[in-house]
Amino acid sequence: MLRLLVSRMVAAIPLMFFVATLVFFLAQLNPVDPAATVLGEDASLEAIAEKRAQLGIDRPLVVQYWNWVTDAATGDLGVNWFNGEEVTTELRDRIPVTMSMVFGSLLVALVVGTTFGILAALKAGRWPDRIITLVSSLGLAIPNFWIGLILAYYLGVRLQWLPAIWPTLRPTTPFEWIEALILPCTALGISASAAIARQSRSSMIGVLQRDYIRTALAKGLPVRRVVSRHAMRNAAIPVVTLAGFQMSALIGGSIFVEFVFNVPGLGAYGVDSILRQNLPALLGFVLVTALTVVIVNILLDLSYAWLNPKVRPE
Amino acid sequence: MTDAGSGDIDTVISADPATAGGPDGGETQSGKTKSRFWARLRKNKVALAGAIYLVFVVAVAILAPYLTSHDETFATRFQDILFSPGEAGYVLGTDHVGRDILTRLFFGSRYALMAGAEAVAVALIIGIPLGLTIGYFRGWVDRIVMRFVETVVAVPAVVMAMAIIAALGTGLTNAMLAIGLVYSMIITRLTRAEVFAAREELYVDGARAAGAPSIRVMWRHILPNVAPPLIVQTTLLFAQAVLAEAALSFLGIGATSSQASWGRMLRDAELSIDRTIWPAIPPGIAVFLTVVAFNIFGDGLRDAFSREARGGRVGVGDVVKTESGPDTAPRQADSLISVRDLSVNFPIPGSDEDVNVVQGVNFDIAKGEVLALVGESGSGKSITALSLMGLVPDPGIASSSSISLDGRELVGMEFDELRTIRGKDIGIIFQEPSAALNPAYTVGRQVAEPLRVHLGMSKSEARQRVIELLGEVGIPDPEKRIDAFPHQFSGGMAQRVMIAMALSCEPKLLIADEPTTALDVTVQGQMLDLLGELAAERDVSVMLITHDLGVVADLADRVAVMYAGEIVEQGTLAEVFAEPQHPYTEGLITAIPRNESRFGELPTIPGVVPPPWDWPNHCHFAERCEYATDACLHGPIELMPSASSLTRCVRAGELDLAGVRDRAEEGS
Repeated sequence: MLRLLVSRMVAAIPLMFFVATLVFFLAQLNPVDPAATVLGEDASLEAIAEKRAQLGIDRPLVVQYWNWVTDAATGDLGVNWFNGEEVTTELRDRIPVTMSMVFGSLLVALVVGTTFGILAALKAGRWPDRIITLVSSLGLAIPNFWIGLILAYYLGVRLQWLPAIWPTLRPTTPFEWIEALILPCTALGISASAAIARQSRSSMIGVLQRDYIRTALAKGLPVRRVVSRHAMRNAAIPVVTLAGFQMSALIGGSIFVEFVFNVPGLGAYGVDSILRQNLPALLGFVLVTALTVVIVNILLDLSYAWLNPKVRPE
Repeated sequence: MTDAGSGDIDTVISADPATAGGPDGGETQSGKTKSRFWARLRKNKVALAGAIYLVFVVAVAILAPYLTSHDETFATRFQDILFSPGEAGYVLGTDHVGRDILTRLFFGSRYALMAGAEAVAVALIIGIPLGLTIGYFRGWVDRIVMRFVETVVAVPAVVMAMAIIAALGTGLTNAMLAIGLVYSMIITRLTRAEVFAAREELYVDGARAAGAPSIRVMWRHILPNVAPPLIVQTTLLFAQAVLAEAALSFLGIGATSSQASWGRMLRDAELSIDRTIWPAIPPGIAVFLTVVAFNIFGDGLRDAFSREARGGRVGVGDVVKTESGPDTAPRQADSLISVRDLSVNFPIPGSDEDVNVVQGVNFDIAKGEVLALVGESGSGKSITALSLMGLVPDPGIASSSSISLDGRELVGMEFDELRTIRGKDIGIIFQEPSAALNPAYTVGRQVAEPLRVHLGMSKSEARQRVIELLGEVGIPDPEKRIDAFPHQFSGGMAQRVMIAMALSCEPKLLIADEPTTALDVTVQGQMLDLLGELAAERDVSVMLITHDLGVVADLADRVAVMYAGEIVEQGTLAEVFAEPQHPYTEGLITAIPRNESRFGELPTIPGVVPPPWDWPNHCHFAERCEYATDACLHGPIELMPSASSLTRCVRAGELDLAGVRDRAEEGS
């Protein structure tokens, strides 16, 4: 198992490298000079040239690329072109915020989605199933930032039950964290819950028709046990796959939800770095995002091995 | 955005041909398939509603300038006034700079559709040729491109799109181009997967036997394969693109302030959110409804393409009590189980009617006796067996006047009462051992389950007993094999595990449903010997279900021949084999030496068992029977005592049918 883990980690390195390389060269396509952006419209040509030298972007592209890669390999992601802060330091502050939001949403989505999905499967074709299926197909279509706006307005601004925007002072107690996370996680988690509910329903229905379920029933096991032991574990495999994709979708979605709730997370950082052509920050953001997706995928592989003995290494 | 990312999910789901409607059944059938596709789509009211709404959106987009007297950037003279709905003649009010929301909503549908079309067009134009190319050439071209595709999809779709926007510059056209580029990876992957599947099929079909497939052949096979999932995926990606447009414009990197896109309207609405939420409601609902419409239409397409029916609940149905018929035979004195008037009813797929797949079956099995239930596929043998345990799959309904097992009446028992019979008094072995065992658990755990549930054994007691049981059924090294998973067993060994499981609680009745059919010919004999030995040792009654009269001859004491839901002949092995009274029995006997034809026609009986809804009211076998006369076509035929057995044939007395002995004499 450990070997699987290590080999997957090692295999992830080239992927991270490709992603960073792709983004690095993609960013070069933009004709606007980043140094001019940093200094603003009124900067003199001399000042811009000086800034270019300071940022190191006057050097040949290959050299710039090589420097970034060799630094990144040692854990140094360079400095933010706009404020001179270490990118790694900035990311370290923002990662917990976004990750607690994303994993919180995923956790809620897994609980809500599988519960309703299984319920729908067990009542397939009857009214609980129809309602769950309808609600989940609506849930998939709600723009997260829109529902976020509505939640922030009604529950935050009007009723003042929960903070409408992220507190300006970083929340310190766990209670404050959770309070600040409820609305963003709800907005973010709705479509993930809906997607997971749909997948749980269809994979549960599929599994319940398998021969081994008939065998389990023929053994005289109670339905509850047949569902919770014999069906659930096999039905979980496609749900786990989906959860992986949802993780990626949630990281993407967090950008918009962070915008709505003014959350100082990775998404806001990424958007800002894109809009201002802040290459070191952008690369740092993309690396963290890709790394998260990779880690989640490794966790998925481990859970596959647990769920499905056929893929377990001997 | 959660939404753009779920494009990936849909790919995964629809890449599976079973859900996305895989290959059509060949060229001759494609016309039929097409009409069935439209019929299914028309019947799907939800999908139809989605389609109608989309037509409406398209109409609004085209007619937008004629639906309102304003243009999209029209503002009131009062640029900082926000009118509420209905105020000053603005039906939906204005936004914070006095622009008419209704007008902007109409024009927004143009941006939504154009943005979606742009992204999807880019995705298809790049994705389909790329997918076809790498799927066709494979090798290093495929490896390099897929490496690239995987890199792109490793990053959340919207993040990658933003990185592309950073290079291209902001604006609606660039933003949707970026989205389209990301989606093209999804289309590439899907197309490639379908090409691979098509290649596989070509290989199986032997179309490649003549040599490498020509590009023309590939196209002919690929297009029907790739089209259905691609159409579904395109619809769903369109929905994602509409969401993506709204999301990116909301962030300010899509539509500009002079473009009345729904996403831009939401961004503008946020600016006045301290005053009112209202300007955010109409565009949000517009996005939501449009996305719902595309999604449900796409789901409808997917359902219409896929050939398999969905639904069904946990497959348990209690047996419904019916009144016994006037001349139902009384229970035989020495019988362990006696079944009277057993019928099983199923709704006909795609219609409101239903049909009896098992009709008025009666039989007894004495203690220690082996009764063989014989017949071709589709005659209702397995359903008969499952209904004894209350396991008729949903939506079937079994009914009977009486099923009495060792003095206990099973008909009318609740699920949980019947549960104490299943696995304890009645054990069952299924046809396909590898499918009948749960892949997720060790065989030891699965064999131990009935011991734990019915006999209340502790974990260690059960384990000890399982090891003994596995030894008894001839599994070598049971102490080690107990912790192995089903996939680590051969078919024959897995069936031995099933036998151990079925016998674990010392049942009174063992049902063996085609126990050797799925096994290698070389182990079939061993398996029958084992079953015979174990049954004799334990004095257990056996209901042996098979189509193979060779198996019957080896094991059975008595034989019941089933055809099209009815028992057509019943008697002792010797009687039935030596002097068959029903033409169908004769046909089965004649077929013995070539009994491999389970799925095809019996060599001596033309045709196959018709589907239940085609079963006539008169003799079910008449249409295939070489002895049929007019008398066979009048009304139902009763099961009547004949020379040596019970027979359901009006000509039973007059026919001289060939039995096993006659054939043996013929041969000598």
